Amino acid sequence: MDPKPRILTVLDIVTIVLFIIAAGLVFLYAPMEAVMGQVQRVFYFHVANAWVGMLGFLVAAIAGVAYLRTSDRKWDIVGLAAVEISFVFFFIAIISGSIWARGSWGTWWTWDPRLTTAAIVELVYAAYFMLRQGVEDSDRRARYGAIYASLSFISVPITFISIRILRTIHPVLFGGDSTGTGTFDMSSKMLVTFMFALLTFSFIFADLLWHRIRLGKLAEKTENLRLKLLQ
Amino acid sequence: MFISLLQQAPAETTRYMIAGYTVIFSIMLLYIISIFIRRRSLKRDLQILDDMEMKDESQSKSH
Repeated sequence: MDPKPRILTVLDIVTIVLFIIAAGLVFLYAPMEAVMGQVQRVFYFHVANAWVGMLGFLVAAIAGVAYLRTSDRKWDIVGLAAVEISFVFFFIAIISGSIWARGSWGTWWTWDPRLTTAAIVELVYAAYFMLRQGVEDSDRRARYGAIYASLSFISVPITFISIRILRTIHPVLFGGDSTGTGTFDMSSKMLVTFMFALLTFSFIFADLLWHRIRLGKLAEKTENLRLKLLQ
Repeated sequence: MFISLLQQAPAETTRYMIAGYTVIFSIMLLYIISIFIRRRSLKRDLQILDDMEMKDESQSKSH
């Protein structure tokens, strides 16, 4: 069994420290928003979770293309790891967004373009796991997974631009006219907290991805040995 | 004075903030725990399979 690399331990520690600082900024440093009140603080980790979701789906698409070009099994492990992490974090973004919506819009859910497309993205990637479960042959599973992860990434930019091209009540942070309900102007303290949360969650993604890849390699090793003994 | 009377206090939404962060922290923690549990269980499986492989090899040598 491969020992845990020293640099991964360092990354674990740095990530934990960043996470504690980010939480401190959210609850102690960032000011309370004047209209929405405390619920606006959900915004910092809500967006950061969505960021990890989109980042991971991008990594999975790149890994899918790399697998199709090289047929190297390591890219299948990377792709599966990235989709799994992003699926979880995107799910958190949807749930935390719903809670924020209840506090600021007065409703848990509305079929707004952003919410609808985000739900579709989550369902598209849920189907990725179903597809993999349904294919027994490992080479075919890896190939189908790679094709699916590459194609399904199309749904991610659609979600990102949906609030910029369609009528929506979801706030547009960058590149919009900020007309959504629940929109707010970020003060400099809010902006610092927001950017720090994005940085922290990028570290969390890198750290978890590394751990999940190691898990995937261990699973493959176990499976290969099991097959060898069965023969 | 008139301005301060016209200003509205922020909405009381603390419970939604608590709910939001409870969900965020809980799911993240559960996912991290799931990675550790899966790793531990795979290590155990691999150990058992290694032992079986060694037994197989020693048996085939003795025959």
